[in-house]
Amino acid sequence: MREAIITEVLKARRSRLPWLSVAAFGVATAVGALFMFILADPDRARSLGLLGAKAQLSGATADWPGYLSFLAQTTAVGGIGVFGVIVIWTFGREFSDHTAKDLLALPTPRTTIVAAKFAVTGVWCLLLALQTYVLGLAAGAALQLPGWDGATALRGLARLLTVAIMTWLLVSVLALAASAWQGYLAAVGLMFLIVFLAQIVATLGYGHIFPWSVPGVLSGLSGGDRPAVGVLGYALVAIVGAAGTVATVLWWRNADQNR
Amino acid sequence: MQASVRSGPVIDVVDVSKSYGDVLAVDRVSLRVEAGEIYALLGLNGAGKTTLIRVLLGMVRPNGGRVALFGAAINRRTHEVWSDVGYLVETPAAYPELTVLENLEVVRRLRRIADRSVVDDTIERLGLGPYAHRRTRTLSLGNAQRLGLAKALLHRPRLLILDEPANGLDPAGVVEIRDMLRSLADEGTTVFLSSHVLAEVARLASRIGIIHCGQLREELTAAALAERVRRRLSIATRDDTTAATVLTVAGYTVRADDSGLIVDDRSAVESPDDVAVALVRAGIPPMRLTVDGEDLESYFLRAVGVHDA
Repeated sequence: MREAIITEVLKARRSRLPWLSVAAFGVATAVGALFMFILADPDRARSLGLLGAKAQLSGATADWPGYLSFLAQTTAVGGIGVFGVIVIWTFGREFSDHTAKDLLALPTPRTTIVAAKFAVTGVWCLLLALQTYVLGLAAGAALQLPGWDGATALRGLARLLTVAIMTWLLVSVLALAASAWQGYLAAVGLMFLIVFLAQIVATLGYGHIFPWSVPGVLSGLSGGDRPAVGVLGYALVAIVGAAGTVATVLWWRNADQNR
Repeated sequence: MQASVRSGPVIDVVDVSKSYGDVLAVDRVSLRVEAGEIYALLGLNGAGKTTLIRVLLGMVRPNGGRVALFGAAINRRTHEVWSDVGYLVETPAAYPELTVLENLEVVRRLRRIADRSVVDDTIERLGLGPYAHRRTRTLSLGNAQRLGLAKALLHRPRLLILDEPANGLDPAGVVEIRDMLRSLADEGTTVFLSSHVLAEVARLASRIGIIHCGQLREELTAAALAERVRRRLSIATRDDTTAATVLTVAGYTVRADDSGLIVDDRSAVESPDDVAVALVRAGIPPMRLTVDGEDLESYFLRAVGVHDA
């Protein structure tokens, strides 16, 4: 497993995707900080016109709980996209670059290679979430946001990491799509469909039981008037994550490999 | 690194079939390859060569029959036997943003080879030294093919399975790879390769299997191939019409073509001097009398029934 993980890390390190994902989450954190900066002063929000209106529409409050919640929300929404692209690239590139065939008849079992891919994408996504948190702390401190205390900070971190882990579990189906459809395109299409459905279902009020909407609902994206995530919601996320992972492993192990 | 040595054939394919929907890609193929042999699977594009190779490597599951390498049945749980097998399937592939050296490092790690020097040794052996630190997206087709072969050879396997190994190589590269494969076979490595170039195969293989429409039509040794290639006597005289009559009376089967007369009889091919004597005695001495060998491609097309040359 160790050798397979090292090779996956090498492949990821040599690509541009880590930097792009860092930049994407960095921008999300910066946008959150900008909203806090705008919301901290009602006159400033009014003077900034459309941008001020957008910040107010986000429903966030210019304090630490509001900022940490906003960061969890951006991770939930942006996570499907960014984590999804990471997973699709990690699996789909083997088919787009025609390197999958070189992974199939080795002393390292295919299941180990797939497990290494999932492990690397998992750590990658968690690091992005931690980056969001650390940058958020720095930005919040620079903005001198009110409402800081240790418990709020820990709650914010726990929620952010929970949302990130759930989102990573949910994009495992994209690993299966990128593998079974042997490349990026169809999997990216599925990702857009998932993001679209997650928004629609959450808007209709069923986000707490639609797995791909659950991280968003948990992060507070749907507002306080919607049902909260219960055991069923968590269980569905875990089931989707497990099903996506196991199906991907089985596909790599059993499907005819003609590419 | 090597699996335990077992007696028996290195490759044992028994009654293997593979179909995709209505298309029967491999049709009840059986073959055996012994240690140290260079076995060439010869066929046109789409004949079933690559599918059979993928079956050998456990990449596709046959609909029927069984495959064993070194006596071990190939299935989804097969892992250890791959330590003894190096392969190159279809066009060579590599991670484009990694260098040649890094691509080989990936293979070394996944093949669980502790000795890091095998990478440098293989780079040297395949003449990839000048490109070791170059990203593979910039490699020429020939060097990409060398890298593909390097990946197959990195762990010094006892069995090499190569799909069109000479693809993209320049003439010098073809000779170099041919010599290398021959030398590996001399050292005991078994080589199973596919090709659609009979002339290349004839120079290298100790045994040849001709596959067409998924069926193994014929298996023959390199020596038998030389014998089976059709030879003929080609004759030119000042009066081909009379010469044809003379030779027909002498018992030969004669036909005319653009260059003169053609005699296919074995006796004529083996004793062209008898034909010359017959013509001289009839007062029509030959201006040209040569034994022509059928070109290998014509033989191959005849063998698979594409046309009867």
